Amino acid sequence: MSSYIVTTDHLTKRYGERAVVEDLNLRVPEGCVYGFLGPNGSGKSTTMKMLLSLIRPSSGQVRVLGEPMTRATRRRLLGRIGSLIESPPGYGHLTGAENIGLVRRMLDLEQRQIDLAVRTVRMQDQMDKKVREYSLGMKQRLGIAMALARQPKLLILDEPTNGLDPAGIEEIRRLLRHLADGGVTVMVSSHLLGEIDKTATTLGILAGGRLLFQGTRAELFAAATPDVLIGTADPQRAQALLSGQHDARIDEGLLRLCGLSPDATAQVVSHLVRAGLGIYEVRRQEQSLEDVFMDLTGGGGL
Amino acid sequence: MSVALIRAEIAKMRRLRTGIIVLVMVVGVTALAVLSALSSPDFSDPGTRSWAALLAGMSLAVPLTSPLLLAVLASRQVDIEHHGNGWLLFQTSGATRGGLCRAKLAVLGAVVCAVTAAEAGLVLLAGIALAVPGPPPLALWWGYAGAVAVVNLVLLGLHILISARVENQLAGLGIGVLGTLLAVFATGLPPLLAHLTPWGYYALATAAGYRDGELVTFVPGYASIAALAVLGGVLFAVFTTRFDRREAS
Repeated sequence: MSSYIVTTDHLTKRYGERAVVEDLNLRVPEGCVYGFLGPNGSGKSTTMKMLLSLIRPSSGQVRVLGEPMTRATRRRLLGRIGSLIESPPGYGHLTGAENIGLVRRMLDLEQRQIDLAVRTVRMQDQMDKKVREYSLGMKQRLGIAMALARQPKLLILDEPTNGLDPAGIEEIRRLLRHLADGGVTVMVSSHLLGEIDKTATTLGILAGGRLLFQGTRAELFAAATPDVLIGTADPQRAQALLSGQHDARIDEGLLRLCGLSPDATAQVVSHLVRAGLGIYEVRRQEQSLEDVFMDLTGGGGL
Repeated sequence: MSVALIRAEIAKMRRLRTGIIVLVMVVGVTALAVLSALSSPDFSDPGTRSWAALLAGMSLAVPLTSPLLLAVLASRQVDIEHHGNGWLLFQTSGATRGGLCRAKLAVLGAVVCAVTAAEAGLVLLAGIALAVPGPPPLALWWGYAGAVAVVNLVLLGLHILISARVENQLAGLGIGVLGTLLAVFATGLPPLLAHLTPWGYYALATAAGYRDGELVTFVPGYASIAALAVLGGVLFAVFTTRFDRREAS
């Protein structure tokens, strides 16, 4: 049996000629926090809506909780999937308790489940206030409580930290870790790597509707090849010696070479030494996860 | 349409001031109908007072009051979905946008039917209180109330669809104002022209009025009203089914 709670095969969404999501093969492992990253407009929300069957794919398939997500299975599956898409829901003229009561009625839930969800997001003291009096952070937490009330196996959150202050962001992070520890698979999207990279155990990076990377943080680092920096007595001569064979340029007195494998690095060093150049240092440039992400997405307006 | 959706719609009505709108409708129609009858020369002599004057008053008061208040009623119940991201909340709970609209029509429709019955009943009680001689024409009275209820329901359905489709609620309210004008002017139009808009059917439902200077009772155009009910029902079903298939934006 598959250990993936969500899989998509060649998932594509087109509006006319324009592909918003193209050939997406997601694999979300059960029990993980899946960080779904990408610049604004990269297709994250569209993908999440397709996972929830709110949007019909142009082609490809979605499987959630081991079943194909179709119009026929949608209602049943949604009873086990909590979600928060776009802005948090909430009727302003009703109190928090009345709002979550609507979800209880719709899904025929028990009060015990509602109380648990409310306590999980620490909103138990705010439920008698009208939602129009809530701060954005409180609305987000109420939205998450509504999603959690059904005790979902899978929680899909679209940019839940949008508009929150640093304390609110940290609170959401803690909540996601707490949920994952409790066995809920969380898929959370963001256009800011820093917001979820410490929380997510698996990352999926989307740009221009295509999946650029999917795997763990360690695999992401491994997939990216940092530049090689060589310190030498005569960088200009070294650059001339390597011209035509490698993309070499001088950067702050060091020779910078892009995309070199370990073997190629050894060959370059050997070549320079044979040419009589003194080599002072050879190292890979240190990269943060942000750098790797930016490289993969091409900057992407982040 | 599930019972849960209906119950959810009833719960959402809390603090929406639906009760106040309903009260304005009932008091407005009753007061206008009675005042219209009292101001009629046929009503000045207690001995010659007739039920027809009260029916004529209602036939004037209903088209004057109902179209805009129905638009307000529908708008308030639908606008909360736009502002509260309610469409998406319910979609992720397995309910469709069309299903929500049908539930809103069911709940508000029950309210509107009760309002129409209350209006007719209160005007009837006013007639008894004003000692109108002779027995009230109950069949015509409640036949008229039934016809008005059908027109009200069709207009309510129309406004629910408009409010759901167009996020700016001024559009629906503007159509409500226009509908009031059409409903009032339709009473002076030939019946054929009154058939052209749903507001014109208030004129076709008219149960009493002046003909050649004489106050007379009419038989409401039941066949036309029945045709409106069928057409309105089919169109509401078609449009809400299209909403069901609509993708989240």
